[in-house]
Amino acid sequence: MTTTTTAEPRTGPLRLNLQPGVGLLVIAAAGLVSLWAARADSQFAVFWLMGMAFGFVLQRSRFCFTSAFRDLFLLRDGRVMKGVIAGMAVATVGFTLIMSDRLPNSRLEVVAPEAHVSPLALALIVGGLAFGLGMVLAGGCISGSMYRMAEGYLGSWVAFAGIMTGLLVAAHTWNWWWRLDIGRAPRLWLPNIAGYGGGVAITLLALAGAYVLILWWESRAGLVIPLTLMTHDPAVTFGDELRRTYRAIFVRGWPAISGGLALGTLNVFLFAYEHPWRITGEISAWASALAGKLNLGLAPPPLLGVETLAGCTLSGAEGVFLNHMTLSNLGLFAGALVAALLAQEFKLRVPRKPIRYAQSLGGGILMGYGAGLAVGCTVGAFFSAVPSLAANGWLFAAALTGGAFLGTKALRWLP
Amino acid sequence: MELDVRGEICPYPMMKAVEAMRALPEGEYLEVYTDHSPCLDTIPTQAARLGFETSIEKIGSPEWRITLRRKP
Repeated sequence: MTTTTTAEPRTGPLRLNLQPGVGLLVIAAAGLVSLWAARADSQFAVFWLMGMAFGFVLQRSRFCFTSAFRDLFLLRDGRVMKGVIAGMAVATVGFTLIMSDRLPNSRLEVVAPEAHVSPLALALIVGGLAFGLGMVLAGGCISGSMYRMAEGYLGSWVAFAGIMTGLLVAAHTWNWWWRLDIGRAPRLWLPNIAGYGGGVAITLLALAGAYVLILWWESRAGLVIPLTLMTHDPAVTFGDELRRTYRAIFVRGWPAISGGLALGTLNVFLFAYEHPWRITGEISAWASALAGKLNLGLAPPPLLGVETLAGCTLSGAEGVFLNHMTLSNLGLFAGALVAALLAQEFKLRVPRKPIRYAQSLGGGILMGYGAGLAVGCTVGAFFSAVPSLAANGWLFAAALTGGAFLGTKALRWLP
Repeated sequence: MELDVRGEICPYPMMKAVEAMRALPEGEYLEVYTDHSPCLDTIPTQAARLGFETSIEKIGSPEWRITLRRKP
């Protein structure tokens, strides 16, 4: 069955728009920041620029992990989840090449450095359920809220405050969870039992299986809309071609699958340089440092066992404001801002219904708490964990799916 | 009929558009006003499933008018 539906916006008469000009100014300012960062520490500059690239791609492809999970239930639409899977497939191959270079013998009882392997704990399931529910209520996960903050969504700023709060609460309860559950739970890194070849084969087969499962799930809705074409603008001259290419990259939204592939590729680049893409560990460090500065007895205690974990571990009393990941997260914001301005998509958006603020705050707290327990968000504990050949990425994905399902049920209760 | 969902984010623009399409009287068409770009993907998908045709017009930075008409 075919459809002639087109999502191509026809350009109406527009007033002169200053946004692209401001976007160029932000690019110039970002260049100055990277020069300053390079003088402080060359790693800072790399993470700043990589962060910008992630933010740019997220905004351009409107890449939303929340919709990837939520729309499976709400719309029987797997468009974004297919993009997520494609990105993880690319990263699986890239990560494996990097890990096998850094740890040639995978059969030892150790895990490749910086791979996102964490315990298969009850806390991971609880964290995934809380995170999945929270992201649907707030209308965006942590990376999603961050690029929407840059696009001017006030609700996302509220969600971010909730995320910091939730991470701080998680840091206060971490030692309890560690003693009860996390500290005793097994870790499963596929190359330890199956070698790198086996690990990559299992992961790619499972991703392909998930892709087919989504095709089946979508087909039950009766009508599946094909991917939007990149562009419909006809081109005759060189000028037309340039304009069309500019619009395809900087103005029109990218298909989710392009976004997923680009994010997966960037993730491989970042791991090749240092470690996989992560977000929440740093936000936890900000929250803990802020709690320490306030001096109200809110600073969390030293956390048990975090030194044995890679990835987005919580910060206890040692929270800091500035390190290389600070630059990565701020870069994500700057990159998304540049992308939004060039596309003329920046706008201060204020929710009209008061309940949306409550949803953003409550959803943010659930996400922060969940990410704290799960050692990461949809990025660190899922998008970077599955390609790390770590079983915890899959368990977290299952829990996120359950949480998102609960979220779609909860949405029906809200106005 | 007009539906103004400016200020609302996913999934509300799509959910409210679907509600409005289901309740739309014969012979009428629906104009959805939004400033949330992700629903430029989700609304046409749902519209097609409900037998509607979509056309999208950019009317601001960033604002869009999505016109939904029943397929003849």
